[in-house]
Amino acid sequence: MYDVAIIGAGISGLVCGCYLAKAGMKVLIAEQHFKPGGYCTSFNRKGFTFDAAAHSFGGYREGGRVRNVLTDLGLDKRLQIQRTDPTDIIISPDYRLTFFADSKETLTAFQEVFPHERTALSAFFAFLDSPDPFTFARIRNWTFKRLLDDFFRDERLKTLLAFPILGNGGLPPSRLSAFIGSKIFFEFLLDGGYYPEGGMQTMADALAERFVEFGGDLMLSNSVRKIILHRDIISSIVLEKDQEILTKRVIANCDAYQVFFELIGKEHLDDLTVRRIESAIPSPSIFVLYLGLVGSPVGLPSPGVNTWVLSDYDLDRVFSTVLSCDFENLERYMMRIQPRGDCLMALINVAFGTRSFWQTNKDRFAGAFLDTIEKSFPGLKRHVVFMDAASPLTLERFTRNHQGASYGWAATPEQLGIPEFKRPKFPANLLFTGHWAMQGLGIPSAFYLGMETAAYVLRKNHGIISCKGINRP
Amino acid sequence: MTNDVEKEIISIIADVSGFDEEEITPDKNFYKDLEIDSIKAIEITVAIEKQFKISVRDEDVPNITTVRQAMELVSKLIAEKVA
Repeated sequence: MYDVAIIGAGISGLVCGCYLAKAGMKVLIAEQHFKPGGYCTSFNRKGFTFDAAAHSFGGYREGGRVRNVLTDLGLDKRLQIQRTDPTDIIISPDYRLTFFADSKETLTAFQEVFPHERTALSAFFAFLDSPDPFTFARIRNWTFKRLLDDFFRDERLKTLLAFPILGNGGLPPSRLSAFIGSKIFFEFLLDGGYYPEGGMQTMADALAERFVEFGGDLMLSNSVRKIILHRDIISSIVLEKDQEILTKRVIANCDAYQVFFELIGKEHLDDLTVRRIESAIPSPSIFVLYLGLVGSPVGLPSPGVNTWVLSDYDLDRVFSTVLSCDFENLERYMMRIQPRGDCLMALINVAFGTRSFWQTNKDRFAGAFLDTIEKSFPGLKRHVVFMDAASPLTLERFTRNHQGASYGWAATPEQLGIPEFKRPKFPANLLFTGHWAMQGLGIPSAFYLGMETAAYVLRKNHGIISCKGINRP
Repeated sequence: MTNDVEKEIISIIADVSGFDEEEITPDKNFYKDLEIDSIKAIEITVAIEKQFKISVRDEDVPNITTVRQAMELVSKLIAEKVA
């Protein structure tokens, strides 16, 4: 009998499992993939090591969420975390905005490009760093557009500030929650660009290793097939190889549709729960291009710098091309050469559309995407010796996120802070962690939610969590 | 009625924070005592609005630091709704 069974070894599930196992609970993590990490895995092809979907992470400043958790778990020394400077560059036909490791330097650089928004930029940066948690409750119903309109007048500046948020959050400013937009800006951009030496997989592997050291049971390549209820409470889970595992509680670090409709089954749910899930909106997906490079391409951004390329200042129009999976206007992507210098990953927001669309068009889309990058960085193609891609279908296959959703539930103001995402009313001993619990906040949030979910369970069991990780984002 | 409102609010805060209802007394500070961060502050606000079918105004929110202040605000908003 386990105290807790965690479905999915994504970052949040691993972090949660570590804290619970460390506190002495009997914990199982069951993962369908043969390696831990979820979207934070890496893979090898022809001598190249590619990160599957996560490019870098934020929240590693002194007191940042990721740093606090890794320190709590004794992994800060085991992992070598690097940071490039600059961390991100936004390139449009008329501007080049650079994010430096020091956010004061970033502010100054932005003020030089947009001197007429000097005061507004200072005020915006100060707002993002606001220590009062209720400041953000005030803007809970706002879109990110409304927040930007509140600070700035220059439409192009607003677009440039919002574009990497679209890339990291999956929605244009007119649809994205102001809170989520602010947090992405602060956690991913002003405190972003961190990378574990050896690739994203090393961080997931280190967490998995630590979980086992704390006494947790980790089962890889062993998917959960069924969640069994007894008198409306989860009593056990059934694994791929027909093993039934008794557990007092389940924490899902996996897709919500799968949990409710496949693992529990609609027939066990009340109408309200079914309606709640069916009417909720998932986030869009991404398309990832992986290029193996030889030689020394000139004119490319330095390794480790996230480079955002945008040709259209109308992000609503850009988003409509996302939704229609348009091949024509792909100049709205992020590319990054991994720190080792021989691998390039490029990401672009796409909708899932239909299964057959990606079955038919994956290679064509990858080709069009490569042509688009070549247009901005002429000569790149000559150095490409290996190319692969992940469509929404690929992401769905490897992570089982509904239609390859990249950020859990869509981060709209309407879906912000819905307690049932984290703690469904039914069944009472089910919790969610990761991006289906709280949307759009990426790796810092996966760490935060893993720790918070563990703290919640321990409080309910009258235990305490000893960590400096409980800081207030 | 007020007692019921207070009980409901405590139950919401307990649900979001993970603290036991007995620990959530009116003089508790959300930030210092109950480890409420910005995400949880939003969750509490959203849950309160839904539960009491009220709308918490933007300008009301930054003034709340204690459980008592939240209770007083909600009671006021319910009274306004009835009136």
